[in-house]
Amino acid sequence: MLGVFICQCGTNISATVDTGAVAAAAAGMRGVAHAESIQYTCSDPGQAAIGAAVREKRLDRIVIAACSPRMHEATFRRALERAGLNPYMMEMVNIREQCSWIHADTGEATMKAVDLVRKAVARIRAHVPLQGGKTAAVRRALVIGGGIAGIRAALDISAAGIPVTLVEKSPSIGGNMARLDKTFPTLDCSSCILTPLMVEIKQHDHIELMTNAEVDDVRGLVGDFQIDIRRRSTCVDEEKCTGCMICQEKCPAPAPDDFNAGLCQSKAISVAFPQAVPLVASLRKQYCRRFNGGKCRLCQKLCPAGAVDYGQEDEVVSRSFGAVVAATGYGHYDWTGSYPTFGKGLYPDVITSAQYERLLSASGPTGGLIRRPSDGAEPRQVAFVSCVGSRDESAGRPQCCSVGCMYTAKQAILTKEHIPDSQSYIFYIDMRAGGKNYEEFVRRAQTRYGAIFIRGRVGRIFPRRGKLVVMGTDTLAGDQVEIEADLVVLAAGLTAAPGAGELARKLNIACDETGFMAEEHPKLRPVEAAAAGVFLAGACQGPKDIPATVAQAGAAAAKVIGLLSRGELETSPMVSAVNPSRCAGCFKCRDVCPFGAIDKDRLADGLVTARVIESLCRGCGICNAACPPGAISLNGYTDKQLLAELVEVLR
Amino acid sequence: MEELIPIIKKALEQVDVVLGWAQSPAAGVAVPAFFHTPAEADAAVFDSTCAHNLAVYLPRLADKKVGIVAKGCDARSIAQLIAEGAVKRSGVFVIGASCPGMIDVKKAWRCFGFGKQVCDAAGKVAMEGKTVAREEILLWKCRGCRDPEPVICDVTVGEASSEAPAPPAEPAGIRKRFAAMTVAERRQFWQDQFSRCIRCYACREACPLCVCRDVCTIQAHEPGWAGAAVDSPQSWMAQLIRVNHLAGRCTGCEECERACPVGIPLMLLLEEQNDVVEELFGYRAGGEAKPPFLTFDIKNDTWDEER
Amino acid sequence: MPGKDVKIVGFLCNWCAYAGADMAGMARMEQPAGMRIIRVPCSGRVDPLLVLKAFQEGADGVLVSGCHPGDCHYGSGNYLARRRLELLGRMLPALGIEPERFHYTWVSASEGARWAEIVNTFTEAIKDVDEGS
Repeated sequence: MLGVFICQCGTNISATVDTGAVAAAAAGMRGVAHAESIQYTCSDPGQAAIGAAVREKRLDRIVIAACSPRMHEATFRRALERAGLNPYMMEMVNIREQCSWIHADTGEATMKAVDLVRKAVARIRAHVPLQGGKTAAVRRALVIGGGIAGIRAALDISAAGIPVTLVEKSPSIGGNMARLDKTFPTLDCSSCILTPLMVEIKQHDHIELMTNAEVDDVRGLVGDFQIDIRRRSTCVDEEKCTGCMICQEKCPAPAPDDFNAGLCQSKAISVAFPQAVPLVASLRKQYCRRFNGGKCRLCQKLCPAGAVDYGQEDEVVSRSFGAVVAATGYGHYDWTGSYPTFGKGLYPDVITSAQYERLLSASGPTGGLIRRPSDGAEPRQVAFVSCVGSRDESAGRPQCCSVGCMYTAKQAILTKEHIPDSQSYIFYIDMRAGGKNYEEFVRRAQTRYGAIFIRGRVGRIFPRRGKLVVMGTDTLAGDQVEIEADLVVLAAGLTAAPGAGELARKLNIACDETGFMAEEHPKLRPVEAAAAGVFLAGACQGPKDIPATVAQAGAAAAKVIGLLSRGELETSPMVSAVNPSRCAGCFKCRDVCPFGAIDKDRLADGLVTARVIESLCRGCGICNAACPPGAISLNGYTDKQLLAELVEVLR
Repeated sequence: MEELIPIIKKALEQVDVVLGWAQSPAAGVAVPAFFHTPAEADAAVFDSTCAHNLAVYLPRLADKKVGIVAKGCDARSIAQLIAEGAVKRSGVFVIGASCPGMIDVKKAWRCFGFGKQVCDAAGKVAMEGKTVAREEILLWKCRGCRDPEPVICDVTVGEASSEAPAPPAEPAGIRKRFAAMTVAERRQFWQDQFSRCIRCYACREACPLCVCRDVCTIQAHEPGWAGAAVDSPQSWMAQLIRVNHLAGRCTGCEECERACPVGIPLMLLLEEQNDVVEELFGYRAGGEAKPPFLTFDIKNDTWDEER
Repeated sequence: MPGKDVKIVGFLCNWCAYAGADMAGMARMEQPAGMRIIRVPCSGRVDPLLVLKAFQEGADGVLVSGCHPGDCHYGSGNYLARRRLELLGRMLPALGIEPERFHYTWVSASEGARWAEIVNTFTEAIKDVDEGS
């Protein structure tokens, strides 16, 4: 006996689909004992109405025409369970996202909705009750990325007694936050609030830290991921190195200083920065003389700990994890290609805000004195240009970087604090200061620190008489403006971290069109990635500031703890199953299965048939499509179900 | 081909049975024969009427060690069965027979009269006074033989063919007419053709690669891909199932079409499919590789998977 | 009314294309009403026979859509789908079905606008075939 419920979704559906008419049509369909239209089916009263109808009319399967099953399938399965039915005896019909919201004509939309309900009614007749199993979950989590997001997530997960492996690509944890001088809107010193957490990671009993390491390969699935982690050779024995930096001092080979955003040079063998965790040196072979045909062995000779080992090789470590948190952060947009009128990076005194951050920092190349790169002079006039590679369709970058307005205001304040007789100019499109105390902060930059805000885009930057001329429009005054500045700071947009796309592929999760990792649902599942057991923390999911990053890291940690705290996971029953009496033993299923989930089974009569290893099956149904006699079926998407749908929809 | 008999007898020393041909007691043509003993093997013949693809018997004899007399084209079917794991290489002993080209017995009888012995012992087409161009009564595949040499073989019999693999014959007859049809005309053409289908499944039974046999989905009541009704659309769907299941697997032996009692030109579909598979994936069934729909290299040269 | 008489069956993978179609709905992108979407877990689940069966049952067009190559939720399902579907598409003229009536394409979960565009152009293409024959 079938029940059909047509959701009005307030007016989301009923404005275009005549839900009463759909219910009336459904009532006349074969096997339907109950049909009604409900205002909000997902609400408490809506779910109660389903329960009541199940009891009164002894319904054994339910069709719900409402929003996308991607939205509420799980909700309604639970509702069926509460009503005493098998949760899989439910079929959802998408009459919102794929009907009422995309059609204007009521007659047409209603007709389509009836069609879709009919198709579901035909399909649900082929449903059978399904029962999920249970599987043990590995109580260990992997956190990828050692910035503030990864650090926070690792600490929060381990606080619940779940061991964590934290993998960081670069030689030290700390990420982008370690490079910042002060943070808005409180002007806390970034290192002062971050370094204690970094040290805590290093000292934590339940956290295994791997730096210079990347995820090589991911197999398995939620509860039991088998992950290979490649630890790059650094030619330094981490156990022996004391971080004395004698090697760095004596090394004759220059190398770019990544930590200082390329503002100065480091050495081929170096410690990433003075507060690095772990505080050990690492050698970059591409810059080392010994690895480029030279005979230099200075670092090995001089190392008092005997930690330098030129023969060290990459090491691949394999571990099992129950869950994964991706916290790979963000990268910086390379503006030089898209903004030719800004000098293409050829003017040394046009720098990015990330570089300026290092000039402001006491641990930076100038010891916290603002000195412009070209001649080391102290700038008096500093121009800030917002939205370079953000909110700019012409550069193909429509997205907002979400932090530019705030850090630009912060940098203007800090400029004034460093150089009291300086003047800052900020070119902006709109000041976006939506966070707690943000607007007050921006106002302070204006009133107390005298920063001049100019609303408009900058058209050109060019040198004139030792200064840089910043030409733009002031859209409020309706006029052209020209500022002569000693230093120009571009608020370059944020991108997905380099390599994030490749990692997403390995983890089997999606990225959105801007390259950031995609959450499963923007509102309801904001930290879950598309693959079960993979969670997102921080800017890898989209640009965000430190408070939002830390909050999301905590949320991801809570999801991991929730997932792994019970020690076992429920497995989906929507896996493939073999009907041995129809199996021809051709094993085409085994050839196409991406997960090695098909095994041979020898029956009592000697016949050899296929068998599904349920713990490995992920429910893609590729085997189902490849099986000539139709012996292997994907539960929930059997040939019978799909054909019933197909035939009915074309009737 | 007298040397065949001693070779079969020798083979019987190491196999349980040898699949070959013997003269039909009823009609003047060769029919498949199973030789279990050297005495039985005395009846073995090989001539231009040995068109049957004996590979069809191999999967059901998978638990035995089997000798098989195979023409070049038959050997492709054997190789395909081995590649797919339906037959073990160690379980078959292939006697590669040098092939004179097979004649379409129905056409021959039309020329010479039913039941006439159309072949002499030397394997040459006998015309009994009538002159018919050999081309006229050859099977289509033999008019442009691609496989004079067997791809897989343990011993050969007869002189190796001096002919190089021939290019496929220019479309003629129904192939030519079909090629010239519009899409709508073809739709009508197939509707007409399949209105004759009697759902006897001879096409399937004659096919060496149709390995599902009695669990074949065409006849299954569920899930209902094709209705059991003998009407054109259902019969057409049933044939499409077979064609689809042979994608990348059909070696083009023509046995389905030869077996069809109502003369539906099934090879038009399979030849088209084989050509497309070869063009797209550089794959021709009957080699050592598995079909390109089962396993494939994502970095394939002939087909850019990332495009 | 656009697309009223054209009935199209769409087989969409749950992870990318179906989510993309949802996205088009969330952005309220109007589309022809002839599309009937059947949700499948992966484009690799789409047996070419489902497409042929749809034509046999009277579909005016069939569309299969899944994740972009390299993005398959299951790793290789869409590669396999594409091989099968490319062959199927090329076979259609021999089967007496206009190849314009069949299309397979990749739509990611964020490509709502692309999905709406695909439904529009595919519906138009089928209407052109119907008028032509």
